[in-house]
Amino acid sequence: MPGPDKETDLTERIEAFLSDLKRGGSGTGPLRGSAETARETTALLRRITAQARWSSAGDLMEIIRKEGRRMTAAQRVLKIIREEYARSRGSSEEADQQESLHKLLTSGGLSEENFRQHFAALKANVIEAINELLTELEGTTDNIAMQALEHIHSNEVIMTIGRSRTVEAFLKDAARKRKFHVIVAECAPFCQGHEMATSLSKAGIETTVIADAAIFAVMSRVNKVIIGTQTVLANGGLRAVNGTHTLALAAKHHSTPLIVCAPMFKLSPQFPNEEDTFHKFVSPHEVLPFTEGEILSKVNVHCPVFDYVPPELITLFISNIGGHAPSYIYRLMSELYHPEDHEL
Amino acid sequence: MAGKGGKQSRSGPALSGRKGTGEQEEEEQPLQAVLVADSFNRRFFPVTKDQPRALLPLGNVAMIDYTLEFLTSTGVQETFVFCCWMASKIKDHLLKSKWCRPTSPNTVHIITSDLYRSLGDVLRDVDAKNLVRSDFLLVYGDVVSNIDISQALQEHRHRRKIDKNISVMTMIFKDKSQRILHYQKTQGLKKLQFPMNIFHSASDEFEIRHDLLDCHISICSPQVAELFTDNFDYQTRNDFVRGILVNEEILGNQIHMHVTKDGYGVRVSNLLMYDSVSSDLVRRWVYPLTPEANFTDWEGQSCTYSRHNVYRGSGVSLGHGSQMEENVLIGCDTSIGANCHISNSVIGNNCTIGDNVILNHAYIWNNVHIASNVMISQSVVCDKVVVKERVKLNKQCVLAYNVVIGPDISLPEGTVVSMHHPEEEEEDDDEFLSDDAEVGQSKDKTKQKAFNPAEVGAEGQGYVWKASSLDDTEDEELSQCLWGLVLNPDPESESEDSEPDGPDDPMIPSPEMDDVKVFQMEVLGTLQRGLEENISCDNLVLEINSLKYAYNITLKEVMQILTRVVLEYPFQQQGPQLTASQYVAVLLPLLKKWAPVFKNYVKRAQDHLDCLSAFEEHFLEQESHWAAMVKVLMNMYQLEILEEEMILRWFSQGATTKKSIQLRQNQGLQKFIQWLEEAEESSEEDDE
Repeated sequence: MPGPDKETDLTERIEAFLSDLKRGGSGTGPLRGSAETARETTALLRRITAQARWSSAGDLMEIIRKEGRRMTAAQRVLKIIREEYARSRGSSEEADQQESLHKLLTSGGLSEENFRQHFAALKANVIEAINELLTELEGTTDNIAMQALEHIHSNEVIMTIGRSRTVEAFLKDAARKRKFHVIVAECAPFCQGHEMATSLSKAGIETTVIADAAIFAVMSRVNKVIIGTQTVLANGGLRAVNGTHTLALAAKHHSTPLIVCAPMFKLSPQFPNEEDTFHKFVSPHEVLPFTEGEILSKVNVHCPVFDYVPPELITLFISNIGGHAPSYIYRLMSELYHPEDHEL
Repeated sequence: MAGKGGKQSRSGPALSGRKGTGEQEEEEQPLQAVLVADSFNRRFFPVTKDQPRALLPLGNVAMIDYTLEFLTSTGVQETFVFCCWMASKIKDHLLKSKWCRPTSPNTVHIITSDLYRSLGDVLRDVDAKNLVRSDFLLVYGDVVSNIDISQALQEHRHRRKIDKNISVMTMIFKDKSQRILHYQKTQGLKKLQFPMNIFHSASDEFEIRHDLLDCHISICSPQVAELFTDNFDYQTRNDFVRGILVNEEILGNQIHMHVTKDGYGVRVSNLLMYDSVSSDLVRRWVYPLTPEANFTDWEGQSCTYSRHNVYRGSGVSLGHGSQMEENVLIGCDTSIGANCHISNSVIGNNCTIGDNVILNHAYIWNNVHIASNVMISQSVVCDKVVVKERVKLNKQCVLAYNVVIGPDISLPEGTVVSMHHPEEEEEDDDEFLSDDAEVGQSKDKTKQKAFNPAEVGAEGQGYVWKASSLDDTEDEELSQCLWGLVLNPDPESESEDSEPDGPDDPMIPSPEMDDVKVFQMEVLGTLQRGLEENISCDNLVLEINSLKYAYNITLKEVMQILTRVVLEYPFQQQGPQLTASQYVAVLLPLLKKWAPVFKNYVKRAQDHLDCLSAFEEHFLEQESHWAAMVKVLMNMYQLEILEEEMILRWFSQGATTKKSIQLRQNQGLQKFIQWLEEAEESSEEDDE
């Protein structure tokens, strides 16, 4: 069992991770994508599992729940961590359940008490399960990209918005076999679209950048819209980068199919009850530089980062385990997460 | 990304590093910071009488927490907090905060002393205690910033590596990295002066900028502390920067600057800044340091964020019909009555606000009671203040701690009310840095003096402070008054004026106006003491010389100031109502006594002219004493302070303004000149 030294080292790591998230936790910063966050969270969980003192599955769940609560209570800014958390806990739970099911058969007990039983092998099993999850996380983008050829055909015009690593990999993978044209909406004010366009054109894809305001005008030429997302909500809606809702409505108007590339770890057990809680407002610096002091004293400047996209505007989800309709999300949810864990 | 890498590798070695293996690697020294939790000025008085400036709440979080968060997020691993005024309060605060938890990535050391009176003292102490091992950041305890300085830091290190230890400081400015050739505050100056040698030096390009905002964040090399020790007269960073730049050729030190376009960084230096920083904070300019992020990790400090920048803490109750329009932050457990209108305001924890209250740009701290029908605009209301019914606070009012106001009163614009009486303030003026004991005493005195109901209302408690207490010997920035100056910069005219002037132009107001003034005071003091204690003129010259170096005054200025001081001396002693004859009677013996001092300075022809121009200037101001002028001039001639040739030259060419022409037409003066001319002719004849 770990000594006190390891214990403090662990809490130090958790603190460092949390403060990193708080400071740099904008999906827009130069920092990192959600995939990386997911990986780090899971790795941290593995560490907790390995080092914290626990004797039964119940204890472990308690510990993880506690840490998870702290992480989310600390900042409501980053919902993603909760999703990652729930996801990885879901996985450790699966392991728990298998174990306790086994126990259930042998001892015949039915109550919660079962979680309190001690298994020698449990710890190793749980860690193994988490490791599997980690490998799965690493492979998600590739898994999604592999399906690209089924969805993109020759000489199609495809529109996307902003920059999503998943979509980027998806398009590049398709470009190895087929020729098509991509239109990128720049996604002001952060203009991640510019980076996306550069990256795509380097891979030999014919790329056009348009302003966000031109989305509707250009939509009539587009065969397919492929976008990424920050989070997939429990009702099949999206919490995606600002401007996505406009794009989705334009696509609906022109009956253009809207495909969302989202790995399974982006699935969140949250429902979009309060719209406000989804919003994140960052410094309005990008919209209007601070040097414009004269204007600023008279004008309010806002810089929201996310948009909510209702599920009826979405045609198809492509995840690492295949394509799904938005109405199927609830089913995936119950497969991946234990209902008791939706609320931490 | 570089900062990230540093941070991850930190967690392991940070623990062991603290235990004494700090010398391990030269390359990976932990980044250190020196945080000065004292402003060394009184701009926030009387508010800071009860609470040090670093702990004043900004968006319901103490200012020092913003600074520490900024340092931690830039990857600082060790911070030295220097406190002086109310050090124990700052210490208590820090010990309770998350910075002193064992898991904190930033180790905070608190160093307190009553002896610090300036930034210079602090840095000398840093050197004396040998605290810093490598480059460090120097910030004040009231800096709010989210600037990513890792790039500036890298550039600084890079420069230091290339030419060993030449660059000593990088200053961060808001708005790309260059060398600072000349640095000067433009506040209140109509003309800028540039030393000629800047333009003679090797580089081809210059940029004159007047649009920079000083963030008061500097990356310093360890030498900085040493330099402060070597130059005991450096008090502020401005002194230091000026000193380094002036002595650049001799010492070979350079200062660079880094101008950043992104991010937000500012020092809360007066209440006007406080107002704008608070509203910037609420408008999320300082993201990720927003109110709802709760970065300080206090229990129960979390709040929710909703549209129009409205933040609500837990347990906030809002009465029927009340509106929070926009940019509002309300702390925990605050209750607000019915039909209130609140916009652009920050309200602290545990406040109660009555019905029909209108708040606009109001900054209300903790535990404040506001009764019904109150109107507050652009004002600061400190902890535990009670505002009674139907009170109206106009713009720029300040209610310091525990004040009671009202009912039925309207405070005029710019009123400052405090529980401390302004007069007792004067008494301990000199000792404000260490008057914990005196605060106790003054409370007794307070009870004896009655509150003025006309000023604070029938049930009011508190004294009205006169808005401006202008005692600026320790200048530094904009002004001394609480709200600061209203900034009305006119960039157009300033840039036109910034044409370089030749260094020999005689009448340019010198940039170090304040130093000159202080110098003048010192010279006056020295002469006075010399007279009282009968010090010999040689020693006086020595003292004046050392003052000259301490305040960085040119020889020419010494001359002018000396002349002026001596000529004004009788007025200083006897009051301005002196008649001409009395004036002469007092001055002449003095002149005789101090003649050797003058002779020491007045040597070259130019010196004579300078002396005479100061002489002229003085008498232009004292029109009624023109009668005395000739006598004084005569006396100076006889004492051989001034040569006749120079007097004649001055007389013939010096006249530029109408008034000085008028002065030259003075009968006595004309006679004297005539006499001089004749004397010269006769002496010439004698020679032949």
